Amino acid sequence: MAEIALSTAPAHLRHGSNSGQPLTRRDGLLKVTGAARFAADHHPPGLLHAVIAASTIARGRVVSLDLAAAMAHPGVVAVMTPAHKPPLAADPDAKTNPFMFRLDLLQNDRVRYAGQPIAVVIAETLEAATEGAALLAPRYQREPARVGFEDATVFTPPAVGVGSPAEVVVGDVAAELAAARLRIEATYETPAQYHNPIEPHAIVAAWDGEKLSVDTPSQGLAMARARIAGLFGIPAENIEIRSPFLGGGFGCKGMLSGPQVLGIMAARLVGWPVKLVLRREQMFGPVGHRAPSRQTLRLGAEAGGRLRALDHHTLTASSTFDDFFEPASNASHTLYASPALRSAHEAVRLDTGTPLFMRAPGEATGSIALESAIDEMAAACAMDPLAFRLENYAEVEPISGKPFSSKALRECYARGAERFGWTARPLAPGAMRDEAGLLVGWGVGTATFPALMFQGQARAVIRADGTGLIECGAQDMGQGAWTALAQIGADGLGLDLEQVEFRAGSSDLPDAGIAGGSAHTATAGMAIHAAGADAIGRLAALATGDERSALFGAGNAGVIARAGRLYRRDDETRSERYADILARAGLFEIDGRGSGAADPVALARYAMHAHGAVFAEVKIDPEFGQIRVSRLVGAFAAGRLVNPRLVRSQYYGGMIWGVSFALHERAVVDPRSGRVMNANLAEYRVPVNADVPSLEAILVEEEDPHVNALGIKGVGEIAITGSAGAIANAIWHATGRRLRRFPVTLEQVAGVAG
Amino acid sequence: MGATVRFLLGEAEREIALADPTRTVLDYLRTDERRTGTKEGCAEGDCGACTVLLGEARDGAMRYRAVNACIAFAATLDGKQLLSVEDLAAADGTPHPVQRAMVAQHASQCGFCTPGFVMALAAFRLAGAAPTRAAIDDALAGNLCRCTGYRPIIDAARAACADPAPDPLRANESATLARLQALAPRTSLAIVRDGRRFLAPRSIAELAALCEEFPEATRLAGGTDVGLAVTKALQDPACVIALGAVCGLDAIEESAHTITIGATATYSDAAPVIARHYPDFGELIRRIGSVQVRNAATLGGNIVNASPIGDTMPALLALDARLILRRGSAVRELPLAGFYRGYRETVLAPGEFLERVVLPKPAPGQIFRAYKLSKRFDQDISAVCAAFALTLEAGRVSGFGAGFGGLAATPARAPAIEAAVLGRRWDEATLAAAGEAFDASFTPLSDMRASGAYRRLAGRNLLRKLYLETAPSGSGRARTRILEPAP
Ligand SMILES: Cc1cc2nc3c(=O)[nH]c(=O)nc-3n(C[C@H](O)[C@H](O)[C@H](O)COP(=O)(O)OP(=O)(O)OC[C@H]3O[C@@H](n4cnc5c(N)ncnc54)[C@H](O)[C@@H]3O)c2cc1C
Ligand code: FES
Ligand code: FES
Repeated sequence: MAEIALSTAPAHLRHGSNSGQPLTRRDGLLKVTGAARFAADHHPPGLLHAVIAASTIARGRVVSLDLAAAMAHPGVVAVMTPAHKPPLAADPDAKTNPFMFRLDLLQNDRVRYAGQPIAVVIAETLEAATEGAALLAPRYQREPARVGFEDATVFTPPAVGVGSPAEVVVGDVAAELAAARLRIEATYETPAQYHNPIEPHAIVAAWDGEKLSVDTPSQGLAMARARIAGLFGIPAENIEIRSPFLGGGFGCKGMLSGPQVLGIMAARLVGWPVKLVLRREQMFGPVGHRAPSRQTLRLGAEAGGRLRALDHHTLTASSTFDDFFEPASNASHTLYASPALRSAHEAVRLDTGTPLFMRAPGEATGSIALESAIDEMAAACAMDPLAFRLENYAEVEPISGKPFSSKALRECYARGAERFGWTARPLAPGAMRDEAGLLVGWGVGTATFPALMFQGQARAVIRADGTGLIECGAQDMGQGAWTALAQIGADGLGLDLEQVEFRAGSSDLPDAGIAGGSAHTATAGMAIHAAGADAIGRLAALATGDERSALFGAGNAGVIARAGRLYRRDDETRSERYADILARAGLFEIDGRGSGAADPVALARYAMHAHGAVFAEVKIDPEFGQIRVSRLVGAFAAGRLVNPRLVRSQYYGGMIWGVSFALHERAVVDPRSGRVMNANLAEYRVPVNADVPSLEAILVEEEDPHVNALGIKGVGEIAITGSAGAIANAIWHATGRRLRRFPVTLEQVAGVAG
Repeated sequence: MGATVRFLLGEAEREIALADPTRTVLDYLRTDERRTGTKEGCAEGDCGACTVLLGEARDGAMRYRAVNACIAFAATLDGKQLLSVEDLAAADGTPHPVQRAMVAQHASQCGFCTPGFVMALAAFRLAGAAPTRAAIDDALAGNLCRCTGYRPIIDAARAACADPAPDPLRANESATLARLQALAPRTSLAIVRDGRRFLAPRSIAELAALCEEFPEATRLAGGTDVGLAVTKALQDPACVIALGAVCGLDAIEESAHTITIGATATYSDAAPVIARHYPDFGELIRRIGSVQVRNAATLGGNIVNASPIGDTMPALLALDARLILRRGSAVRELPLAGFYRGYRETVLAPGEFLERVVLPKPAPGQIFRAYKLSKRFDQDISAVCAAFALTLEAGRVSGFGAGFGGLAATPARAPAIEAAVLGRRWDEATLAAAGEAFDASFTPLSDMRASGAYRRLAGRNLLRKLYLETAPSGSGRARTRILEPAP
């Protein structure tokens, strides 16, 4: 039974009985039977297939394309090139908001990165389009590619991430470092990584006059719609984008990508519906990536382990033509108390596609360096790394001095350590071996991620038959929006889950904000909750103002909505069914609207973050450098959990991304051509099943009265942070060697040049 | 000759004329049949999202195996049953036990990988092996999931195997067998379209004749290398001669001293026989690709493909395997060591093909060890692969074969190492001599998979590992000390 209380003095919302339940996902059966339809599964009548021809050089110009050969291939309908393309209403290189990124849409012959689309071949079959694209045989005028940090000029970007300052300083770092008894300085490198959801970007676009219908995966339907409207000069209402299921996003489907727009242009050019699906290797260029970094940390501490200074400098890279700067140093803003703290960023511009948000952007990259450095400092102080972290536990947010809205990190450390058996850890590295003679090491890392909210809207309806409907253009990329948001919606309407229809995944529904930043459940959830409360409020007004109702006059005392009835708060013997209230009023339905956004007052007063602690065990074969993570225990506190099962699933997935960050993922860029040489899933290694250790995620309870009325923080990204560092630290503990270039390779562990 | 491909899709008969002879099963399913449950994540056998089951009649029962539809050619479906995720539920719509377990264990997030996992697990459940973690890892090594962290999928595998419900895939077995029998091809398949050919002879003589007639033709065994060349490198072979339908070419025969493996025997079929005599070789095969790959791929394909990092050749070289080659009616036999001429070059003459591989059985007292080093444990290409066949008599080395992959332009024996140890006492001094001979034999290159320095170190360490595992004074399987790298 769900309930929602409305009164003149709204208490902090209670969870209804739907939220908090560990339901399995409601779309599970659709997914296991293959009935869930993803974008590329659509096949409207008259469909043509489009294939992108991508640049094999990183910088220069396309001098010629063999259009005749491509057009002569049987089945080829058109070749879209800078000379032959539908006009756009806006320059795709223009930027009018910080979430707008420049797109390569065949506007000229310039090549800015390897993998950039240089033509699109449209044909009757996929094979014909593929063959046609191969026949274009482009010739280039090539310029030398700038590929590594050494190839370009270092500068200070105006801002990093989304509008954060490139440098933030608290206290006097130089003075504190100078005064510290112990100091360390270390440089860590992280590679370019590509999101690689298992579903490549795909779009099926169909124009009907000035109306456009699109099936494509999108983590941000409203933004995508606005982008298309702007580019094609049509009203947003003319566009419907459907994205009920995304085959994974991790950030690369957050903003509409160039290839998706090319699919729409292709459909416009030929006047037929067009399907465009990226080949796997095309996922390594125009759809974003995590920028490489070189991070230098300088720490100073007292002999007893108290930090005096923490200086985190990041050198990162963006593309030559757009701005996204991985805010890695900001990972040091929140975790460890230090009288002096500095985060700073510098950057170079390389001939790559523009880097973008990738799961825990900034935090993941920064965390592995920060957690390694904290471990190095602990070792320098001859302290247990967990004790060192507790010694420097931040009671207020170090960068701002604000209190935390809630912070159960101590409990995370304690629960995780106990479960892992941390107290048995020898302080000295290289002291543990297993039965087979493998080196064993244990490491810890702290996890953190901000509790963000964007802006979102929702609509809630109570129908004449007493059932409910929630409409919210939310996006489910796997995190479980179909389930968790429906749970919140049912609670908001005081109904059981089965009584509520939930509509999501279409741009025709109210804008639910972007599914990113681990903010979607909070943002869309709050909007849905507010919409439910609004609908219930209207229903209550009907009843309490009508003398024929048992609730007449309950006004000030308030009502409670539960299981399809309204009850008088001070006298539950007096109640009425939703259906009866609507029937008497002669209404077919009653609807409410709600929106969700961060509370500016709370934001000004509190620092809001989720926290966690991850403990890792690794085993290492010293002769061959082979590393296996054998155990991972994470304990996380992230406010209230709408659905513990979904949450745990996010933690598992995040922890494995941590394994991947520490040991596997890395794009290898050819220094001469600027091409990613391992642009496939065989050599761009992500963990396979057998790489997954014994994995445990502990859900630590945390009540947060400030973060939002539902008390929820995000859980989608936090678990990468902490995990990667814990593994790096475990490798040190196993071998006594501090490896600072990620991912750690066989060569590094075996001690030969990589 | 038949020009159309006849097979069962689920329980329905299909007869298709292929406009494109190298059309993939995945493309056929998704485009022609609009069965979109089977997904494409990579089109090169790496992700498993396209996993389907192939059913064949074997010993009076249906045998189902998981394969990657993205690199399998539709023309090879002739005479088989194809099952996609849409076929799993029982006739009344009740989901398959694997599907139920996947839902109950919350084993999908985004769900894009899910149909592939469901199919891989359905095959695993049907095969009836005990669901140990190792067996599950192995069954799922070819399926990538970027969302779940795998753990719930492993739980689902266990739950599905524990579910006592009968397998719906066995419900129609006798009817399926009868239908398959009815459409079993009696003649060879020959698809000719716009000058492109796909030929599937049914006898060795016919195969030999076709190979002579079309010496430039691409020979297709399991297609895990050829399929990639078509889907990824976009090659359009003008003529493909498929070996899969040739009767008897998949035979695996044992005599007193040899194991003979036909050119179309898959790894999955050959591994148990090989492993009986050479457990390490069995384990090496288990680490080739994934179940889906091994269900299609062959030893013969690995040999002829001639990649310097092909995984079986070091073992075959160490064991002195011999090849039986045929051209027309002329048959010749030669040692594998004489088969490679250079990088990706073999001594196969035009029109000649590999018919069988002959592996000697272990000599008395022979010890065989094979090692594969790769960055990721499963589904990964070797950085270094090595195999050793060692025979000791009274503490002296009376026989020694060593094969290495990843260290030179071709898989290679190391005669210098063999010479350095033969006849000598198996002790530290001999090991040191072997190490020096190793250094003199190989100058490995650096590439994405490993640096040359690592390969050199690891190759030497593998010799040491062999020594410690086998020397009379060695410590059995215990690990060795790290060798100090050369400065
Ligand atoms: C995802 C994936 C993972 C892989 N992992 C590994 C791995 O870990 N280790 C490894 O070694 N390999 C691996 N491979 C490569 C491949 O699976 C092997 O090389 C396999 O043994 C090839 O066998 P096949 O039957 O599929 O060959 P095919 O692709 O059918 O043929 C390979 C080549 O041999 C020729 N050929 C085949 N049979 C004959 C014959 N009888 N006579 C003459 N020519 C012939 C073909 O014309 C072709 O040139 C992997 C492949 C994939 C797709
Ligand atoms: S699509 Fe990835 S293995 Fe077939
Ligand atoms: S659930 Fe998304 S890839 Fe597996």
